[in-house]
Amino acid sequence: MKNFIFSFLALLLLPAYMSGQAIKGKVVDSSGMGIPGAVISAPNSRTSADADFDGNFTINAKVGEIIKISMLGFDAVSVPATAEPMSITLKESGDTALKEVVVIGYGTRKKIDNTSAVSSIKSEEITKMKVANASQAIQGKAAGVQVSTSDAPGSTPSVVIRGAGTALGGRNPLYVVDGMPTDNINNINSNDITSYEILKDASSLAIYGTRGANGVIMITTKAGKGKLTVDVESFAGIRSPLKKVKMANSDEYVRYSNAAYSNDFPQGRFSANQPYNTDWLDAITRTGTYTQNNIAISGSSENVKYFFSVGNYEEKGILNGSDYGRTTIRNNNEFKLSEKVKITQNLSVSTIKNTPMPLSAFTNAYRQSPLVPVRYADGKYGVPFVSNGVVAETGASFNNVGNPVAQLDYTNEQQQTVMLQGGLKLDYDIIKSLKFTSQFNGEFYTYKQYNYVDNLALWLSADPTRVQSGYDTNSLNTNTLTRNRDQYFNWNLSNYFTYNKVFADIHDVEVTAGIEANVQGTREKLTIDRKNVNANSNYWSLKDVNVAGSVTGFKDEALNQRRLASYFARFQYKLLDKYLVTGTVRRDGSSQFAEDKRWGTFPSVGLGWIVSKESFLSNVEPINLLKIRGSWGRLGNQNVPLNTQLLTSGLDYGGLGSGTTVNSQVDPNLSWEIVEELSGGFDFEVLNSRLKGSFDLYDKNTTNTILNVKPYSSSGITVATPAHVGEVSNKGYEIALRWDDKINDNLSYWVGGNFSHNKNELTSLKNVQLNPIIGGSLGNGQNTKILDNTSVGQPLGSFYMYEYAGVDPTNGQMLYYKADGSKVAQSGLDELKDKKYVGSLLPTSNYGVTLGVNYKNIDFSVDGYGVGGSKVYNGKKAQRFGGENIEASTARDFWTPTNTTASNPAPSNLTPFASTYYLESADFFRINNITLGYKLPLKEDQFISFCRIYVNAINPFITQKFSGFSPDVVSDGKLVEGTQGVELDAYPSLRSFVIGANLKF
Amino acid sequence: MKRLYISIFVLSGLFFSGCSDDFLDVDSTEAIPADPALVNSDAGASGFVTAIYNQFLGWEMSSFGWNAVSSIISDDADKGSDPGDAGGDKDIVDALTYNASTPSFQSTWEANYAGINRCNQALAMFPKLDLVTPSLKARLTGEAKFLRAFMYFTLVKGYGGVPIIDHLATVPISEDDRKMQLTRKTVAEVYAFIEQDLNDAAEALPLKSAYTGADVVRVSKGSAYALLAKVNLYQKNWQKVIDNCDKVTGYSLVSDYSLQFKKEGEFGPESIFEINGVGSTSTPGFGIGNYSVSQAPRGAGGWGWGFNTPTQGLADAYEPGDVRREATIIFRGSVLYDGREIPSTVANPRYNYKAYSSSFYNQEFTDTNLRYLRYAEVILMKAEALNELGQTDAAIPLLNQIRLRAKIGETSAVSQADVRTAIWKERRVEFAFEHDRWFDLVRTGQAEAAMTADGKNFIVGKHELWPIPTSFLREAGALSQQNPGGY
Repeated sequence: MKNFIFSFLALLLLPAYMSGQAIKGKVVDSSGMGIPGAVISAPNSRTSADADFDGNFTINAKVGEIIKISMLGFDAVSVPATAEPMSITLKESGDTALKEVVVIGYGTRKKIDNTSAVSSIKSEEITKMKVANASQAIQGKAAGVQVSTSDAPGSTPSVVIRGAGTALGGRNPLYVVDGMPTDNINNINSNDITSYEILKDASSLAIYGTRGANGVIMITTKAGKGKLTVDVESFAGIRSPLKKVKMANSDEYVRYSNAAYSNDFPQGRFSANQPYNTDWLDAITRTGTYTQNNIAISGSSENVKYFFSVGNYEEKGILNGSDYGRTTIRNNNEFKLSEKVKITQNLSVSTIKNTPMPLSAFTNAYRQSPLVPVRYADGKYGVPFVSNGVVAETGASFNNVGNPVAQLDYTNEQQQTVMLQGGLKLDYDIIKSLKFTSQFNGEFYTYKQYNYVDNLALWLSADPTRVQSGYDTNSLNTNTLTRNRDQYFNWNLSNYFTYNKVFADIHDVEVTAGIEANVQGTREKLTIDRKNVNANSNYWSLKDVNVAGSVTGFKDEALNQRRLASYFARFQYKLLDKYLVTGTVRRDGSSQFAEDKRWGTFPSVGLGWIVSKESFLSNVEPINLLKIRGSWGRLGNQNVPLNTQLLTSGLDYGGLGSGTTVNSQVDPNLSWEIVEELSGGFDFEVLNSRLKGSFDLYDKNTTNTILNVKPYSSSGITVATPAHVGEVSNKGYEIALRWDDKINDNLSYWVGGNFSHNKNELTSLKNVQLNPIIGGSLGNGQNTKILDNTSVGQPLGSFYMYEYAGVDPTNGQMLYYKADGSKVAQSGLDELKDKKYVGSLLPTSNYGVTLGVNYKNIDFSVDGYGVGGSKVYNGKKAQRFGGENIEASTARDFWTPTNTTASNPAPSNLTPFASTYYLESADFFRINNITLGYKLPLKEDQFISFCRIYVNAINPFITQKFSGFSPDVVSDGKLVEGTQGVELDAYPSLRSFVIGANLKF
Repeated sequence: MKRLYISIFVLSGLFFSGCSDDFLDVDSTEAIPADPALVNSDAGASGFVTAIYNQFLGWEMSSFGWNAVSSIISDDADKGSDPGDAGGDKDIVDALTYNASTPSFQSTWEANYAGINRCNQALAMFPKLDLVTPSLKARLTGEAKFLRAFMYFTLVKGYGGVPIIDHLATVPISEDDRKMQLTRKTVAEVYAFIEQDLNDAAEALPLKSAYTGADVVRVSKGSAYALLAKVNLYQKNWQKVIDNCDKVTGYSLVSDYSLQFKKEGEFGPESIFEINGVGSTSTPGFGIGNYSVSQAPRGAGGWGWGFNTPTQGLADAYEPGDVRREATIIFRGSVLYDGREIPSTVANPRYNYKAYSSSFYNQEFTDTNLRYLRYAEVILMKAEALNELGQTDAAIPLLNQIRLRAKIGETSAVSQADVRTAIWKERRVEFAFEHDRWFDLVRTGQAEAAMTADGKNFIVGKHELWPIPTSFLREAGALSQQNPGGY
């Protein structure tokens, strides 16, 4: 009987044991603080739970079963469950910090449960490369994300996610910094970023509705945790051009130019013995230097988490006189007011002081003749005057290029920007499963600038024969001063509910629903032009000054506001922990469109299946994770000007006052640019999660791409306005692989890479009578791009020009192919028939590689980035009007009657037609970063608990086919109508070497 | 607490559904919407016409490209500047080796049509403005029509038949409007359209003497009749030339030829249609963009770019003692009327004096005016028409009026043929660098001979008309064809 009773009890208990019991415990950090939101999972029981505000949790699991506890920013631990309340301490970690949770719009999601394509970049990846802007640091780190950078101090990298669907200027993704939608992150200190996440597919983007079409980058800044910690980072580096274009020297210039002028000067315009041989690029550049110093204080107590940081970045640019400095201050706090109410506050202040130098100095240095000295012996600036064949202080001018050194010496411009960004967020747990969140964010931007031009000095420097007494001060200003002020305030308010509940243990439901209002406030710009001011900037106040005598221009502009009103909802469902469904819908109203074109609805659906949790795979040892994802969604883009027909004013005329007309044609039918995307992929981890990877396929269709279109030339309307033009498709795939292994406690390493391929195509035109959009102007009447009825089937940004057919051996003229295949000189070409599509500036592929080794206290890593399949037009080379310098390669091998097989044509001062002679491959592979670090062996309880010293090389090597300065050309960022892909100005990419240290107290 | 948040949410939801459309109504702050109600006043209506005049200050309309296609192209002017500086395309325009893609022909096309759009915008707006003084509205309508006719005259002289845009196209564009914009009309149709506009303008416009104050810069009844006479001249309607010249009243020749090209001579008794530049050292300025600087002396001691320089042939075309030679040409090493010295180190031997501004000589925006119609031309047009109608005796005194003012004595020509040649020659030296020579050569059939004398290869059947810009032909497709001659 006893046995029976025992057996009976056992029978009763056994199922209870088998099906698990409530395991209770608390998750704390190293200082003993509870970690709210920690994720506790019991893989065998296939359940999971979240820790509450104090870190307490309850999970249904079997005693003795291994449960895993993980949290954003901490090392995950796996321990056997015990019947007694458990106490689990998580260690903070950089390495696995962000693997478990991803930030999605209006919430976070466990990565495993996410159905969409999101690339997460860890904070250490962002700070590893020592650059000012985090977006530059992620180049090559995320599949499907193409980053182009300019190394000019303070420039904004261009980021294109999954191909260009729109050709308009507004192609940049939306940045959401701690909930605030913003245009760029120039004001964010990379050291303050804890996660940088790129939402790539429609399923994740649809929650951002009208602004998601170009992708969204979610940036979360740091919060404090654990005991008080002080983090210090300092580095210093030097920068120099990565590649210089070799220009002709004096002798080569003389030989080439004399051949070009052989008609006008049969005896030769320049004599062989010239007094000067100037290397202009050397004359205007120096070795750049930059430093960054950063201090962060952070920690947490029971009810407060705090983070405070100050950072300073200073750069002396390679162009003489250019300086850039940025100081950032950030304060992020979180207050737990009660068990149910949490308030999060963040505030960031950044000030940027920029002393820019005109980048056109690089172009002038490229063009100015080496015959011209920087200065003559008497100290006057060199000018392109030739007298009796020799460069001299008087004579005929032989080109129109200014002296770039004088240009820099007389540039006096300064810009100051202050950006305040801040937000307040309230989280209120109404009941256990229902949370209300209200978030307000604002940003205030203010900018001031002055530009002082010393007209008298410039006048004197342009001609050495001039003397100051010859300066006509009655009609000419001795100097002019322009001052600008610019400011705006943008705000965003969102309110939403999140409901999360598990029903019957297997139905995990999360619903988010809310509303949002967004206002991009009126941008006010004030410009004042003045003349004949005191050269000292201290005396520029206009107090008590007779304005009429000093102020020559005054402009007070107020740019249009933009407003968005939105409703959004998301439904996330997980069945049995392995079948995932996400549905979102957003309805947006935009002030940019006419009243009946305003509202749009943007739905999406995502599906996921965690195959590795199926019983048939759970015992297959090598496979740790296999998840299949698929999604469909519709997105919008509203980045167009206010769709109201406006007057053009300011067309005044001698004494008659203000003139007004209409010089644009607003399309009343303009509405959203709609993007539809179908995508799918899988994630896997095998061999004890040492090999991880993902694969994604997508088919993205912009059904009504918006381009700026002009009416026909005879309409006389000269301003292009946005119109729906046609359909653009982007199809591609992305592969990311990474192998991490730890050979022993002292040695671990990783090798990783990603590859993305994208095929961009204009698939159809909406209007068969589309007025051709001509783009890629070289500024000399020649254009390199077109979009019209003939462009269907071509990628956007296609180059359209004559095909070069070599040098005519009989006279050295450039030959081109006509449509029928025959070769003719310039005069025999028919622009309407003989131009062809010769490739696009958009790369078809880009790839990144990374590898690293940690040995004992030493860490070493290398990152590389490359693009393939794109073209670049060497526009600056095609700009010789006459008298400008040429590249050494041209000067050393050109056609002459005795060298008829040369690769370059005979010298000529004819404006060359845009042709494939100047079109080059933009493919390149560049080592972006090499880092070597050493951690001092310190104990955690010492005053200095951590110290790492590192050296860092940025862009040390490049392989490129392009003969210009940089194939990574950003230019004006306008794909079709602009000069993107055309190197018109010569700005070199930079190579940097950095040494620095991180310390923790 | 809970109730509070729920009610905030519900309330904000209500706010959205109720007022979100109001929330999304954003008024333009950066420019005024094109709403007739906002310009329904005398000043508002006048602004639309002011904008048309303003078009004539444009760089494309009146400056670099215009100098190329009306002046450098002819035997009066060379490209100038440095041999190596082509000014984009000025070298090939000078050499008559241009083609349909040559930028100066495209910019001239676009600038004139942009001006025509401003006329059409004004003419379309006026009927919607009921608060404008009717007499003012009538005058403004006349001004818009004159200026539209002037621009069509430029187009038809240069390109031959062009599309006639007489109203604003619908948005999106209708098939009829598309054809209107892309189909070239015949030369005769364009002239008929111009004459219609000018007749309307002549009726609506006041006499020049009726204008006071700043309004003297406006076109008047005399402007309309003078231009009508010139349009008749190009069509060889000799009697109409005479009739219309006779209707140009209230004008007289100024005694000092050079005065009318200086600031103090602007809008004088001889001026019929003149573009008014206002000099300034600030931007935006309201002078003709870089008109002066682009033609000013270049090189050491100079201050300009040195384009559009008078040829030796023009300098030699003046008879001894002709005051117009010194008023038209700046010679290297000379001293200008305001005492400015032109050193002998400048790059070119001669420059255009009529583009010179004393007060703002090296500014982008100067007070240099463009004289498009002067009373001297009315006299010479009438002389030419009389001579063609066989009334040579009546023509000669008119010709002599011009010659005597230039201090060169009476003409020796007697026969109809000699007088014809004498008038043509007089036109060259009288109107040199006033953007007339090229069209005059083509009109009178002298072009081939004159170009040959200047060392250029004028192809008969081709060079009488400029090429239609490729950019337009690409738009037009089959609706329009290129001019003959193999452009």
